[in-house]
Amino acid sequence: MGSRNLLVALAGQPNCGKSTVFNLLTGARQHVANYPGVTVEKKTGAYADEGRRVELVDLPGTYSLTSYSLEERVARDFLLGDNPDVVIDVADASNLKRNLYLLVQLLEMEAPVILNLNMMDVAERRGQTIDIAGLREILGVPVVPTKAKKGEGREALREAIRSLADAPSHEHAFRIDYGPMERYIAELEEKLCEDPVLSIRYPVRWVAIKLLENDEGAAELLAASHPEADLVMTLAESCRERFREEAGNAAERHIAFTRHGLCARMAGRTVTIPTDNRRSLSDLADRYVCNRFLGPVILVAILMVLYQVAIVFGNWLALQVWPLWGALENFAADVLPAAGFIDDPLLRALGLWVVKSTTAILNYLPIFLLLFALIAVLEDSGYMPRMAFILDRLFRRFGLHGQSTLPMILGGVYVGGCAIPGVMATKAIPDERARLATIMIVPMMNCLAKVPLYLILIGAYFADTGGFAMFFIATVTLFMALPVAKLLTLTVLRKQPSAPFIMEMPPYHLPTVTGVMRRAFERVWLFLKKIVTVVAAVAVVVFVLINYPGLTENRRAHYQAMQDKSLDAFMSAVDKTGYQGRISRDDVLSIILFNESLKRAKQGVTDQTESNVINARFEADNPVYYAVVKRVGKDGKALNRALKKVDRVRKKVRREARAERFETSFLGIMGRALEPVTQWAGFNWRINIALLSAFAAKENSAATLGSIYGIDGGQSVQESMKAGEAGFTALHALALMLFMALYPPCVPTSIMVRHQSNSTKWMLFSIVYQTLLGLFVASLVFTGGKILGLSGFQTMWAFYGLCVAATLVMALIPTPEETEVAPLINASCKEHCS
Amino acid sequence: MKKLMIVLTLAAMTAFAGQAFAHSPLMSCFDNGDGTVTCEGGFSDGSSAAGVSIHVTDGDGKSVLETKMNEDSECTFDKPEAAYSVMFDAGEGHQVKIDGADIVE
Repeated sequence: MGSRNLLVALAGQPNCGKSTVFNLLTGARQHVANYPGVTVEKKTGAYADEGRRVELVDLPGTYSLTSYSLEERVARDFLLGDNPDVVIDVADASNLKRNLYLLVQLLEMEAPVILNLNMMDVAERRGQTIDIAGLREILGVPVVPTKAKKGEGREALREAIRSLADAPSHEHAFRIDYGPMERYIAELEEKLCEDPVLSIRYPVRWVAIKLLENDEGAAELLAASHPEADLVMTLAESCRERFREEAGNAAERHIAFTRHGLCARMAGRTVTIPTDNRRSLSDLADRYVCNRFLGPVILVAILMVLYQVAIVFGNWLALQVWPLWGALENFAADVLPAAGFIDDPLLRALGLWVVKSTTAILNYLPIFLLLFALIAVLEDSGYMPRMAFILDRLFRRFGLHGQSTLPMILGGVYVGGCAIPGVMATKAIPDERARLATIMIVPMMNCLAKVPLYLILIGAYFADTGGFAMFFIATVTLFMALPVAKLLTLTVLRKQPSAPFIMEMPPYHLPTVTGVMRRAFERVWLFLKKIVTVVAAVAVVVFVLINYPGLTENRRAHYQAMQDKSLDAFMSAVDKTGYQGRISRDDVLSIILFNESLKRAKQGVTDQTESNVINARFEADNPVYYAVVKRVGKDGKALNRALKKVDRVRKKVRREARAERFETSFLGIMGRALEPVTQWAGFNWRINIALLSAFAAKENSAATLGSIYGIDGGQSVQESMKAGEAGFTALHALALMLFMALYPPCVPTSIMVRHQSNSTKWMLFSIVYQTLLGLFVASLVFTGGKILGLSGFQTMWAFYGLCVAATLVMALIPTPEETEVAPLINASCKEHCS
Repeated sequence: MKKLMIVLTLAAMTAFAGQAFAHSPLMSCFDNGDGTVTCEGGFSDGSSAAGVSIHVTDGDGKSVLETKMNEDSECTFDKPEAAYSVMFDAGEGHQVKIDGADIVE
């Protein structure tokens, strides 16, 4: 057997020091990829051991091996499908009771397990002693203590792997006694054994228990490998039913409690805890953190710090970093082909558009980095599950999960988030149905990019009551999202698998700086790779949609005439100066561009001597142009005046041509085509265009409205919008704001939705349902308000009342299965939190 | 419904935390050398700054000039004799201030 390679899987609960053990064994040489088809990270590494290559696979950290979460499913599929030679269960020795829960499940799967008692140093520091020989005897598996953080135990662990792999067969002495359930397990086992395929491929007792647990994954497994799967399923269902009647308890609850009880007994027999220090520091902290009254206060305080640091400080930081992205834009402007008088070469126009679209996203990078770092702190410290626990009761009423909190905060539960990291963060939710529901409502939160439009509309139509209007739009979204989440749960998501809230509270940990930073940078990098490339691709599509088919010959000639006239005027000014003959008609555009690049070069320069150096460089480059631009001499002054006029004309022509191109573009045509539908919501074609362009990125809406309303000097966007739309009332504005709030996720978010739900169908669904919902709400508010003769402000609060009422009603409707499976809370938290 | 109250409190508390928006305001100013100063504004996401208020104040913070960015997101004004500063004011959290001493020819 000596020459064959070994496959070793590393399992363990989160926060047990699994990564440290991985590094201890492999020397930190690792390869990170995703498990096929899912977004769970797969870390592999290898080491040589007495001429053999030992390949180590780091399974996702899980508390349990049900199929409730993606991580658990991935871990289990690997154990069943890849048949590792050895499975190391890394356990936190200082919390053996909790960590044994995973071990007993591994043993039930009849996996060749080594129990690695890691973090022995922490256990020793707490004065705990563990009877390792006793544990080995009870479990019947090798037990290896390590202190991976201090680099102790590598040889012992490698030795254990070697001998277990070389052992002739793995006899499993360990078996959980499920008491009154054993009868049903045996009944199912008997049925399962009738089929030779299944009984060879999988441990029969384990399959039977899983079926009694009503485990989704086991049912799939059965369907795939057993010829009479339906029959077995019916039998399992009947066993569950009979057990329930006999024991008065659901089978899955009985199983979980039996396991927990067993773990507690085993730990009680082998772990000696000093009498005066019975309750560990973590449990002591939980008394306050999970407390009925103090818990929510601490939660709010932590969330406020999160918001302040990530969003408020992050914004300030984003502004400090901006010059970097600005420089990138300037660089692109310099290297791309030079601009024209009216139109730019395609390569320049497209290139600048793509760069601009990308920098608009890159601007958020500091915020993301801070957010990801803070999330890593919350995760590593162990607070995240506590937060989920505190909010789970409330959220469960709406079909969501305790862990939906973070995605919603990131998405902007009040004001100021971004749906992209929000949807990303749903990954942690173990309940598939709640996870999808969260993915569907996160884009309804108030992301930062929706804010400029709110500001414009509030400034224009709710100027006197601006504070109230802002509060309205900031909070009404939550009251729309919660009932919608419940509705989705009751309808389209009904069939999705749901999970009872079983969550072990891991002990608190002090997060390490390097750990947090590494995680934050990894996630930022992932985000960059995924989003920026997508944004660039989408930018090209949008560019085509808003620029083509382009101006008609007629209009082009009109703008050409304007250009010619201004050039004529400039040339006649040249003829009156000493530059006659030295500046030709073709030079005019070059002079304008010369001026622009001089300005760009001096952007951010605050020192006169530094500025002089730049000036001198440009003067040496082209003294004639320089004279005109910098008003050198009498002729220079005269020509500078003329140049300013040409420049003004150029800007005007470009602005108007752009707006015209936009209005007659494909997007413009769509906007007009939609008018018959959107008129009920009070949207005309101009607003339709703005909304359509906002799909590419929400930021576009305000900019587009600005450019469509052909702003005249001295007027703000608000004023010109008011002037431009005589019939536009506060009611229109309200409908528009609500539509924007419910508006389908922008393209990058949609891509993220596709990625996290792992289905194009769900992505399309999220786009379509939000569009229809937005249109419905906007029409309801606009048409309803009009029929009832209410003002915009009155309608606003009538609608608010409606949403709050809907939320309350929805909270009272039971979530499917909620009545069946009461949330299971582990004993330690139950004591303090209930 | 107690928990609902908590969420409401949370919302209200964040309301006072001040609003912040990641589309950052930007402005750069140049001394034209003819006794005038030109400022160009915009936002990091490419939005136009047309119509944004510009306040020019003297050394004591007293207002010298109130104007707005034109349709090209520019504004040109006579350079004050004494110390001055220019403020690009697009509302709460959307302000940029540049000291006149930093505006060079």
